[in-house]
Amino acid sequence: MFNLIKKDVFIQKTQIGFLVPLIMIFAIFIKDIHPSFIFLMAAVFIPLNAYIFDHQSKTNILLNSLPYTRKEIVAARYIGAIVYMILSIILAGVILYVLQFDYTMRDMAIAAGLFCLIAAFAFPLFYFLKAEYIFIAAFIGFIASTIMLPPVFRFLAEHLTTITDFITSLSTSTLYLSGAAIAISLYLISWVVSQFIYQRKVF
Amino acid sequence: MKNVVEFKGVTKHFKDFSLEDVHLQIRQGCVTGFIGANGAGKSTTMKLMMNLLKADAGDINVFGLDYASNEKEIKERMGFVYDSNVFYESLNLKDIRRIVAPAYKNWNDKQFFDYIKKFELPLNKGMKTFSKGMQMKASLAMALSHDAEFIMMDEPTAGLDPVFRRELLDILQEIMEDGRRTLFFSTHITSDLERIADYITFIQKGKILFNDSIEDVQNRYALVKGSMDVINRDVEKMFIKIERSSYGFTALTNDVAGVKAVLGDRVTMEPATVEDIMFYAKGAEKQNV
Repeated sequence: MFNLIKKDVFIQKTQIGFLVPLIMIFAIFIKDIHPSFIFLMAAVFIPLNAYIFDHQSKTNILLNSLPYTRKEIVAARYIGAIVYMILSIILAGVILYVLQFDYTMRDMAIAAGLFCLIAAFAFPLFYFLKAEYIFIAAFIGFIASTIMLPPVFRFLAEHLTTITDFITSLSTSTLYLSGAAIAISLYLISWVVSQFIYQRKVF
Repeated sequence: MKNVVEFKGVTKHFKDFSLEDVHLQIRQGCVTGFIGANGAGKSTTMKLMMNLLKADAGDINVFGLDYASNEKEIKERMGFVYDSNVFYESLNLKDIRRIVAPAYKNWNDKQFFDYIKKFELPLNKGMKTFSKGMQMKASLAMALSHDAEFIMMDEPTAGLDPVFRRELLDILQEIMEDGRRTLFFSTHITSDLERIADYITFIQKGKILFNDSIEDVQNRYALVKGSMDVINRDVEKMFIKIERSSYGFTALTNDVAGVKAVLGDRVTMEPATVEDIMFYAKGAEKQNV
């Protein structure tokens, strides 16, 4: 299974070269960007790219013809995503440090949590959809979230004061711990769901 | 003789097509050619063999093992050549090797590079620049580098120029020489079968019509030609299909002895080629092909 995780680097070695300049461009040219966003972008880069590569051509046929079980293929995807997320966030941290872009450990933690949430929804969806629809789904998802999310948050902030009061009343450590717990549980549930979908997939 | 692959009552339903109660044996150490019209179920059968599809009913055993508990062991011992490129298109052979090689326990790097040299494949060019024949050779090199005992090939000769096709058939013949390997390949080109196959499996509309040695097939079937006046209802029963023309008829029979006994010298008989059998079986009037 370690081989399957390593494979994600081979297949996109040219693309990975873009990651460092991309982080630098964000850090240098967009001064008021939130550091969490840079970390999140770096975290998403390799796992998402690997996913898109594996959906190209007939890679699923190749992977399933090699001596791997479907369980292992899904496990490699989920474990690999976490491994690459951590490495990318560390890489981004080093680059930002060198460029003297201020950030805290908290920004990294927020990015990691958001990454788990995004992956938890995206992976099973991608396994479920056919390759040609993934781009459309990602595009619609992106547009919908940019349109929908701000009004939803505004609504929540204005009307559900009990919830916001409750959240603000929590100590920061409880808030972060519960956030981490939710993100990790969703990620694990997503893993089980993906495995279920992939076991039944026809190639 | 031992069977490498065994299908017992395998059924798989799709919306517009189904494999019905397929029984199939692939004999160890032999070359089995798999023929059938487009859409007859060849690819489905091969996908079931690789566990890319799961059967609705029936048992599939490879090396006497079942996929449910021995998937990895089966695939360790199997090689595959598909009819289209399954490798990452932007990668070159060197990188593909780095992905494929660690998947197998008994991968042999020396053997791989020897075959790459022998097949004259470029190591540093992207897979997307490979011709169909080169892709085929690359897949075959990988199958041979992990010493696959059973190699499954989906239409390896389709789309190859005649020179290249002969070369590939020679390679296949060569890798079969030590008698340890078993080869199963689907094809449309029936002359390939006559060149290298020991057994022929014929599938039509999701059913296996026969699965016999090439001699058996050639002895059992014959083309019968004669004038229309010998045809009557009883005679018709001995034929799989009759083609009528103003000069007389040509028919395929699987009852050579019967035809000889009843019609004797009134008709002429010729050996049927695999292509004849495929052609006549397609429009068969009786279902006992």
